[in-house]
Amino acid sequence: MTLVTPKKVILISALLTLLLLGVILLAVTLGSVRVPFRLSIQILIQSIMGGNVSGTDTEQAIILSLRFPRAILAGLVGAGLSVSGAVFQALLRNPLADPYILGVSSGAAVGAIVALLLGLSTASLGLPLVSFLGALMTVLLVLYFGRQDGKIHPNTLLLAGVIIGSFLSAVIMFFISISQREELRTIIFWLMGDFSLANPQTLFTVFPYVLGGFVVVYLQARHLNVMLFGEENALQLGVNVERLRMICYLFASLITAASVSVCGLIGFVGLIVPHGSRLIFGPDHRILIPASALIGASFLIASDTLARILLAPVELPVGVITAVFGGPFFIYLLKTRKTMKVL
Amino acid sequence: MIDVRSISFRYHQGWVLQDVSFRIQKGSFIGLIGPNGSGKTTLLKILYHHLSPQQGDILFDQIPLRKMSRPAIAKRIAMVAQETHILFPFTALEVVLMGRSPYLGHRLFESSKDLEIARKAMEWTETFSLSERAMDEVSGGERKRIFIARALAQEPELILLDEPTTNLDIHHQRDFLDLILTLNKERGLTTVMASHDMNIASEFCDQLILLCDGKIDRMGHPEEVITRENIERVYGCDVWVDRHPVSGAPRIHLLKK
Amino acid sequence: MTPSRIKILLTFLPLLLVWLPVAAPATHQFVDEVGRPVTVPSVPKRVISLAPNVTEILFGLGLDQEIVGVSTHCNFPEKAKTRTRVGSYISLDFEKIVSLKPDLIIGTGAGNTKDMVDRLEKLGFSTYIIFPKNFDGILTSVRHLGQVMAKEKGALAIVRNMESRRQKIIALTRDVPRPRVFMQIGEAPIVTVGRGSFADDLISLAGGENVAAKEDKTYPRWGMEEVLKRSPEVILISSMNPKGNYEKVVQAWSRWKMIPAVQNGRIHLIDSDLIDRPSPRIIEGLEEMARLFHPERFK
Repeated sequence: MTLVTPKKVILISALLTLLLLGVILLAVTLGSVRVPFRLSIQILIQSIMGGNVSGTDTEQAIILSLRFPRAILAGLVGAGLSVSGAVFQALLRNPLADPYILGVSSGAAVGAIVALLLGLSTASLGLPLVSFLGALMTVLLVLYFGRQDGKIHPNTLLLAGVIIGSFLSAVIMFFISISQREELRTIIFWLMGDFSLANPQTLFTVFPYVLGGFVVVYLQARHLNVMLFGEENALQLGVNVERLRMICYLFASLITAASVSVCGLIGFVGLIVPHGSRLIFGPDHRILIPASALIGASFLIASDTLARILLAPVELPVGVITAVFGGPFFIYLLKTRKTMKVL
Repeated sequence: MIDVRSISFRYHQGWVLQDVSFRIQKGSFIGLIGPNGSGKTTLLKILYHHLSPQQGDILFDQIPLRKMSRPAIAKRIAMVAQETHILFPFTALEVVLMGRSPYLGHRLFESSKDLEIARKAMEWTETFSLSERAMDEVSGGERKRIFIARALAQEPELILLDEPTTNLDIHHQRDFLDLILTLNKERGLTTVMASHDMNIASEFCDQLILLCDGKIDRMGHPEEVITRENIERVYGCDVWVDRHPVSGAPRIHLLKK
Repeated sequence: MTPSRIKILLTFLPLLLVWLPVAAPATHQFVDEVGRPVTVPSVPKRVISLAPNVTEILFGLGLDQEIVGVSTHCNFPEKAKTRTRVGSYISLDFEKIVSLKPDLIIGTGAGNTKDMVDRLEKLGFSTYIIFPKNFDGILTSVRHLGQVMAKEKGALAIVRNMESRRQKIIALTRDVPRPRVFMQIGEAPIVTVGRGSFADDLISLAGGENVAAKEDKTYPRWGMEEVLKRSPEVILISSMNPKGNYEKVVQAWSRWKMIPAVQNGRIHLIDSDLIDRPSPRIIEGLEEMARLFHPERFK
């Protein structure tokens, strides 16, 4: 039976969590510097348990200060982008929607660039904060223009988001054209999406938004299913569509804003992970949302690891990997779709 | 059961419905007929409070609809729309279970009682065998019946149908209408059906409401409403009206010019 | 030099010899550092510089009023700031250039694009391009520009000065062990200097060992892991604002105490104009580096 039950959700979540743990382990043991496999695991586990940690200072630093926090951050962002992508696809009733479609990302980018031009470094906590504020302002602006007769209309929202996003892109281009060389390079790498620039302390700022947003959105999962059938159907079935749209829009945007402010615009994840999850597990949001979160986390951690090791010691931007590997994999999923629908 | 009091509605300029009043008795089967643009669909939308009339009121068992919460309305009134665009392939059972939504509130998962009610609804509509099939794999007629099952899962007292027989083959039309009639007569499910097809409305409904330009032109038994004069006045078209040889209900026949 | 260009040179040389005893020729023929033949007035009177390093060399040669236009980023010497701006690497103000009526334009192969130079040629301007790739290359460029601008004496003075100071440094640092040096160009992401960059050349001249010396890319982008692995003893950070950013930078590196450079407080900012700009001041950059690498030798 394909019906989604609590048992099913827990089972699938457990399996995907195992996958995620495996990917995290890989991320911690692989890198441009060779740290022996067993030693890496040892260092990680020992530090979690407390007590003496083996390895040299350098090796410890690589595992505990570089790879592990970066993997966790990538996982959080991957989960965040995937969940908000799924929610926007439901909110806008559009399979082509991704977390950036409503302009939040452009707002975050403008915030980050302003912060950079003001002299804040990417390693500071100030830059993600300003970026986040930029994103929030955009969210409110799009909401203001996206309403019709005081209600949120998906099409008007989409239009407002795209227009404001385009306008902000023009602002970004303007900043790029007047930038000096030094800042220019940083801006461009930020726009491509990158975890090497992120300060691991931002973990603690991103985490509550992603987790909080996830919980709020998940509680609406059943209503999201109904909303996929259109506003009329949802109203007929007693769903408070206006409230649902507002909650989804705000919290999905919040998750996106938190994610983007920390590492820039990583593309593809928010679009294909929900689709991939849907192809495997079906469209029911009660399984789709946790599945997207876990698969998205694994996917982004894996992509980031590849970005680090593919051309070592040179690092590639992670957005290149998500596009190059994500795209063909997704096409493969589409081809084999009829035989899928596991469990 | 439903008391419609002098409602008037407009979208932007121009009243779509003007000063419409009528009563629906419990257990009746009402047919809503009239030309395109006369306000049939709008009236249905107002009946389940998707739209709110600018003037007038609708009372359900003496309580105004606008004072009822959406879930409360959904537990009493169900609607089967004309067309539903399927965006993602849910299964038939999942769709029918959505009918339980007004009863679930904040709960995320359906209980076994909900499953039971859904199963019964699907049995009545003979769609239980389609439970696991995706909605984009079933035929038009089967899809219609699945949506009726969903409406039934809401355990409503009133069901609204919008052009339910369009695009259905006659055997599906017959099955569908038989089902509705059985639900109406044997389970006391009050039914309001908007239809282009006056003969079907005449055949199956107790009462007809003939709308014209947003006003009620005639309301009453089919014999009273379906007359040559009324049809000519409302549609501007001359027809021949006689009686159905088996049931005796009035039917119209088009005349060549 | 391609055979066809050699041919051109050979056909012109006899012509020059014929004219020499009669009158000083009005123009010279040169081949610039990217192989282009350029006709230059024998004593250029109105020169435009398209790059900061060119400006510094020209002023260094003793020119002043002859320099009528400079690029936006030309900031040294002070006098350069008073000249008309003609645009940057990315875009030139061709109208401005035309209005200045230069008889010679000098650019660099490391910043000005072929497109720009072609356009200038089409507009009828003589354009001479230098392309120094390392310390010695700079000396060569200074000599070339000295010839082109008829300031051979000035050029010689610069070259001698730079050469003697270089020799001094080499002598002072000859028998000292080379510290491992990590040089950071960009703060985010981390970009360092590989083979073929000026900074790499300077580091080894100054008696240091660039940890990225084996990298093929001129400016490779690294992850922090690599830096940790290489365990540099000195960290140099090229900055446009060396006085201002010091605190911030040291703060950012302070997490990585296992790096010897961090532990011993050997993190230094260095003015990027001194190590990244192929001009006579590169010798100051070299001296600065040598001081930082071997402080005990420079009491």
